[in-house]
Amino acid sequence: MSAVRLAIITLLLLPAHALGQTKQDDAAKISNDRPDRPLQLPPASSEVKEAFDDFERFQKRGAWERALKSLYTVPDDQALRFVDGQNGFIIPVARKRRDVLAGIPPEGQAAYRLFYDDEAKKLLEEADGPSEMKTLERVYSAYFNTTVGDNAADRLGDLYFEMGRFDRAADCWLALLRDHADTDLSPALVSVKAALALSNAGRRGEVVALRRDMADRYADEKVSIGGRKATVAEHLDRLLAKEGPTIGNAALSSPTTGSPKESGAVTSLALNGSAAWQLRFGESIVAGMSPPEKIQWDSNPLSGAVPSVTVDGETLYANLLGYEFALNLKNGKMIWRSGSFHNLDLAAAQPQARMVDPSKFAIFTSKGKVWSLGKDLKDPNQMASFRLTCRRADRGDLIWQSSDLSEYAAVELVGTPILSGETIFVVAKTPMNQQQQTPPHQYVLAIRANDGKLIWKTEIGMFRQGQRYFYYGMADNSPLPRLYHQAGSVYVDTHEGVLARLDAVSGELDWGYGYQTDPVESSGRFFFYGMPNNTSNTRSTVPIRSGDALFIKGAKSEKLYALDPDRMKVIWERPIAKSARVIGADDKTVYLGGPELSALDMQTRKLMWATRVPGGSAESQVLLLPGGIWQLTSRGIFEIDPKTGAVRRIFRGDDTGSDGGDLYLAGKFVLAVTNRTISAYPIAPPAVVRPGEIGDGPAVTKTRASDD
Amino acid sequence: MTRLRIAVLATTLTLSVASSPARAQFFNESGMVPQQSGNIEGFSVTGKGVVSAKPNRLEIDLDVSASSELSADAIVKYRDAKKRLQDAFTALKLKDVTVEERGMLVDQKGAEYSPYFFDYQPNRRNKVEVQITRKLVVSCSEIRKLDEEALLQLVAKLLDVAQDAGGKVGGQNQNSYYYYRYGYEMNNGLIRFILDDYEKLEEEAYAKAVEDAQSRAKRLAKLSGVKLGPVTAVREASSPRDRQTTQADEIPRKRLEASKFQEIPVKVDLVVRFNATPLPEKAGQP
Repeated sequence: MSAVRLAIITLLLLPAHALGQTKQDDAAKISNDRPDRPLQLPPASSEVKEAFDDFERFQKRGAWERALKSLYTVPDDQALRFVDGQNGFIIPVARKRRDVLAGIPPEGQAAYRLFYDDEAKKLLEEADGPSEMKTLERVYSAYFNTTVGDNAADRLGDLYFEMGRFDRAADCWLALLRDHADTDLSPALVSVKAALALSNAGRRGEVVALRRDMADRYADEKVSIGGRKATVAEHLDRLLAKEGPTIGNAALSSPTTGSPKESGAVTSLALNGSAAWQLRFGESIVAGMSPPEKIQWDSNPLSGAVPSVTVDGETLYANLLGYEFALNLKNGKMIWRSGSFHNLDLAAAQPQARMVDPSKFAIFTSKGKVWSLGKDLKDPNQMASFRLTCRRADRGDLIWQSSDLSEYAAVELVGTPILSGETIFVVAKTPMNQQQQTPPHQYVLAIRANDGKLIWKTEIGMFRQGQRYFYYGMADNSPLPRLYHQAGSVYVDTHEGVLARLDAVSGELDWGYGYQTDPVESSGRFFFYGMPNNTSNTRSTVPIRSGDALFIKGAKSEKLYALDPDRMKVIWERPIAKSARVIGADDKTVYLGGPELSALDMQTRKLMWATRVPGGSAESQVLLLPGGIWQLTSRGIFEIDPKTGAVRRIFRGDDTGSDGGDLYLAGKFVLAVTNRTISAYPIAPPAVVRPGEIGDGPAVTKTRASDD
Repeated sequence: MTRLRIAVLATTLTLSVASSPARAQFFNESGMVPQQSGNIEGFSVTGKGVVSAKPNRLEIDLDVSASSELSADAIVKYRDAKKRLQDAFTALKLKDVTVEERGMLVDQKGAEYSPYFFDYQPNRRNKVEVQITRKLVVSCSEIRKLDEEALLQLVAKLLDVAQDAGGKVGGQNQNSYYYYRYGYEMNNGLIRFILDDYEKLEEEAYAKAVEDAQSRAKRLAKLSGVKLGPVTAVREASSPRDRQTTQADEIPRKRLEASKFQEIPVKVDLVVRFNATPLPEKAGQP
């Protein structure tokens, strides 16, 4: 009897294990609709999701007419809203519909063409004149699997290619090759066109894959493209042999500034001797301060601000907490400045200036102009937005500033802007709203660099929670979003759990990738002046591209991701400390910053070494070159062996007394930028220095008795 | 009031008054003689002995700590950090410098009690980061023979090497809240000076304390007109005590510490009771 009871109890309890598994999987799944995700891409309506569910249901029953009809109940205005796709990607409804249609079995395909071919043909005939592209996009998006879908894709690819939108062009032709097997178009020609677009987009890995795919099928077929007639294999070989645009920013010279030709050749640094010149702006700020004022200043986070710098030709431009200045790179002499540094002592007297995040100040330059992101610390409204300012590079005259332009009245510019050609890309969000009536939205803006005109503004998503409490001196501690531009696409890592890709020309949001991040906080209400901050001080990572992989690491994420953004796949992911950040990568290794510098083997994904340098590597701009890693610390410039992590040499330099800072390559100099000085160290021939030594330079009196 | 109650009260009062002469015969808790009744058996004096010596050793505490989402990463970080510190001091090739390891602690990062969240913690739905921590103690012996300049050079070298090797010098991990809340004094020193070999000094200090007690007692006897008798009791009022240690403490009990490089005093205070007898009456006196 007891055995029977035991059997019954066992049978009753067994499903509990299965239930537990399901719940865990659900918890791990990242969805755009999860309420604990901090940022939501513009979501599709529930009707759209029901339409896809209906399609699934009717498809299983073989009711193709009703299944397909349900897909076309999706209104046009929902086509660019977002739903969950595969592998954590969040994709537009139009793309999901195309993917669904591409996956239907042959019997469904026949029904589909029967029902929708005529509609598609009619649309294709209308594709002419000013609405040509829009109509082709509609056919490509909604009727790709009809008999004319391949023609629409091919024509659209041509249009994109002519516009320089190589990513989009390649995607059209690749979709044609992969999902339209019965096309009448020449696969050989389409392959070469796709390879050409891929090559221009810097997607070399995919050209190699295409070459491999074509080898057995159309390699010997002759096609004529660009007035050149050759076999497919010859065309592809020529493209592969050609040196394409640089792929990614992960080449181990990413912090290079200035002339790429000069600094790009530097593979290793030999620092020796004293600085060629040094600007001691820290002394100017504290000049004339009384001892209590000095104590107040030193305890203010603004005193630790490291200026943002950029170099154009022979001039260095810097942005120190909104004070912009230009220096002659040869001798360090000041050319112009927007204000005198000692005015910064005003900020020390106003404790509310603690609300300002010094890392938000940025500067960049090109072709005789310099742009900076900053704010006036003297502005009594500490909630005032940061403004983008454009000046003449030679004299510092103001050309335009965003605070004078009405387009920017309703947004707050955040994160470091990037410049590509004549366009500035910058992330923005709706300003802080103390009433919390509507949650803030995040945008990416494309701005014409010359006159500040807004080219496009795309919503990335809506925050599920803004800054919850406002109090005197309480700063917004949310991590800064980061931008990366590559071959017609702009990537934005929101550091709020979403990486998004936008088309650089149109601003259209291609997709988002939802990665693991901290859920929205439900922190306690106990806060007070001087309360310790729980958030990590690690600088948010800029997405780093190396070959096919794009490395992302959210500031509040405990995972490192290697994505293939072009194929929309996760190459690998790996748990990592939340405090870690990606500082660079080569073809075998990912280099990480954080409390320590460390290196991760890409193949095995094992941590190879970790080296802690004074002050850690959470914020500094680190120089990564094939010959070594250099970091400026409060105790000098540390040179680290990238293979073992061993500290090869410590160059004390002339920056003692600072908190450490950023290193940049600029021509023949290494620029050391700290919270007190900007120093230019000449790069000496490698033979001058010996490994393992601690050098402080002959022209400097010994600063460390122990260095003997 | 009943008779019984009156009887109880009277008995209590009688007993309490009757016991006071007996209590006066003994030292109180603090070792001092009760003031109100005096020691009718002799003299109780305090003898003090102080002998000083320079510290013979210095110590620097270094924290090696590593944390990560993956325990394997934490181990790599911890192992590398420890090795770099040990290698850096080995490379100094100083025979008197050693690096001692204290116990290893494996816990989770940021798990300590937060005084800012009173009855509930902030969001802890995130995964645990494993943290491995170990204290390394850099010890340099034979410092007594060094002059100040040489010692400074040595200290600077040790501190520089420690920091250059990524070591956290000093007590950064101290929770300032507790020090504030419970009125403790935070130790911000980087160096600890140690006096290990003070057995001989202790002997000298005791001898001096006894000698001092005797001279005090003699003076009192002389002034009081009594004859000083032999020692009847001795009590240690103050002496170099063993350190208060906890279960996790690995520091030897027997040593003296100072934050400054100066002579460290070995102090002994003894309370000594001498017998006293009246001086014999001289002939011719009334």
